Amino acid sequence: MARDKIYQEEEFPTPLMQLWHNFKEPPVVLIGFGCFLFLIVLAVLANVISPYSSVENHLDHLLLPPAWSDEGNVSFLLGTDNLGRDMLSRLIQGTSLTFGLSIIVVIASLAIGVVIGSLSALTSGIKSSFLNHFLDVILSIPSLLLAIIIVAILGPGLENTLWAIIMVLIPQFVHITRNAVREEFAKDYVLASRLDGASSLRILRYSIFPNIIEKLISQATLAQSAAILDIAALGFLGLGAPIPMPEWGAMLANGIDLFYIAPWTVYLPGLAILFSVVATNLVGEGMRHALKVRKEN
Amino acid sequence: MLIFTLRRLSLFIFTILLLTLLSFSLSFLFPGDQLINLTGQLNASPEQLAILANDYNQQFGLLSQYFSYLNHLFHGEMGYSMNSQLPIATEVLNRLPATIELTCVALLVAMFFGIPIGFCAAIYHRKLPDNLILTVAMLGYSIPVFWLGILAILVFSIQLGWLPSAGQISLLFEIEPVTGLQLIDILLSDNEYKWQAFQDATRHLILPVIVVALAPATIFMRLARTAMLEVLDTHYIKAAKAKGLTFSQIIYRHAMRNAFIKVIRDVGLQFANLITIAMVTEVIFSWPGIGRWLIESIYQRDYTAIQGGLIVLSTFIFIVHIIIDFVYAALNPLAREPHHGAR
Repeated sequence: MARDKIYQEEEFPTPLMQLWHNFKEPPVVLIGFGCFLFLIVLAVLANVISPYSSVENHLDHLLLPPAWSDEGNVSFLLGTDNLGRDMLSRLIQGTSLTFGLSIIVVIASLAIGVVIGSLSALTSGIKSSFLNHFLDVILSIPSLLLAIIIVAILGPGLENTLWAIIMVLIPQFVHITRNAVREEFAKDYVLASRLDGASSLRILRYSIFPNIIEKLISQATLAQSAAILDIAALGFLGLGAPIPMPEWGAMLANGIDLFYIAPWTVYLPGLAILFSVVATNLVGEGMRHALKVRKEN
Repeated sequence: MLIFTLRRLSLFIFTILLLTLLSFSLSFLFPGDQLINLTGQLNASPEQLAILANDYNQQFGLLSQYFSYLNHLFHGEMGYSMNSQLPIATEVLNRLPATIELTCVALLVAMFFGIPIGFCAAIYHRKLPDNLILTVAMLGYSIPVFWLGILAILVFSIQLGWLPSAGQISLLFEIEPVTGLQLIDILLSDNEYKWQAFQDATRHLILPVIVVALAPATIFMRLARTAMLEVLDTHYIKAAKAKGLTFSQIIYRHAMRNAFIKVIRDVGLQFANLITIAMVTEVIFSWPGIGRWLIESIYQRDYTAIQGGLIVLSTFIFIVHIIIDFVYAALNPLAREPHHGAR
């Protein structure tokens, strides 16, 4: 890369800044990132911007189709469901449930997974081998089955499914943290700070975490798309959010009986899930691509 | 190869032991009495419970209890379903074949379509077909499976009326279960309407298989694309080019085989994911498999069924993992012999 050296000091971007520079290159990724930010804003401001309450019944407007059809009403832009609840408001408030909660779930399991993973990277021998195989067992149990088992222990309900999904996601974070920390520990710069007398914890904090954080973030986006799908799937199966809550999966399950006469009650929540998962996946793809580009340079 | 087999088998036994440990500890974690959770005897009298407690070594320590549980498992006793009061083993045996049929067909379909399409994408790297395939793949693994299933039923069963929407076979046909796998049973039976039954069963299979296979197929596309790109970047491909081989010769003779091996290695990891998708699909298509049974048993708080289902389903996944490992080792000599000279 050509650089005119006007100033004497040279500027080296931090690993995260480099990642951002590579990340924003492809336009598709930037669009995805825009959608992702849009969803976050929706999730935070859901109560402020939704036109009606998510449980308010408009009994003279039952099963109103979306506004673009002939029988539609423009004050209910996306129509209403079988109890006359405004679909648009429910979808917006569902953003903070399905999408917003998936972010919280991922952050929680990331935090727990990173702690366990870095501790296990520092241990060795039979303890570490046992943990490794135990994680393999957990990782090869289907995520939904594991979530169902945890829901069976805790009982159904939105809060309990969130705990279940947090626990389901932890092993992959442990796995990736452990491998990444091990890989970094073998490098020379770690040896250098070790020779300076730094303790293992200090090395972890100041040398290793800044270098593996982008791997963790990229894994987190993968985990988030899985978390959205799992929250929605459990809601759909009636094990997660209860029916009156505007959680997208539960909304879909609610609309299923009326699918033939009111298809919008099913395809709108489905589209919302698809949209948020695609946005999350695009961000993740961009992240992995940027990591690859940085590694090649 | 012998060492490879032994290592695999010991790992398998170790994994199964960990799994039984997990399922044993579940009986303590589930609400209710541990012995009842383990045996499923909801209506047992105090005398019967005393006999059961003796049977499961309840008076001794935890370790002894665990070994007695293992002993029961080895004899195929997984307790009784709290819901139907039938032995779990019978319930599972009735339902597992349907799941095996659905998932294995879906896995094969996903590999059959996904891998060649992925190779195609790699060959047209950064051109229109590649971008198109990547877009479709992205949509494919982002679609929530329950939504896809409902849409498929709406379009193909209700609006177009091409395919049936629920069940494994039309109730008109009576098939004697021999192996439990419906398609094989039909072929084995001496029913005079055998071919009609076979056609009907296939028609019932098509929609669920497509719904289950879509997401894994798109993942295989991406895996195959990455593998092919890696292979096309190697020195032996450059050497083949330098030798003057045509492009199709390079692809068919050299690149495809090596890329295929790399994909096979990762197929096993996708299988757990495929089972998750199949469980939801079974609910939507009323497929009489083990996934639907498990989800129903959680509505009914049938804890014994959940424990049994966990063990059986996970064991099935591990066995598929091992089969795929062996296929991989059979295809790739580098995997069975230790590297000489490598660190």
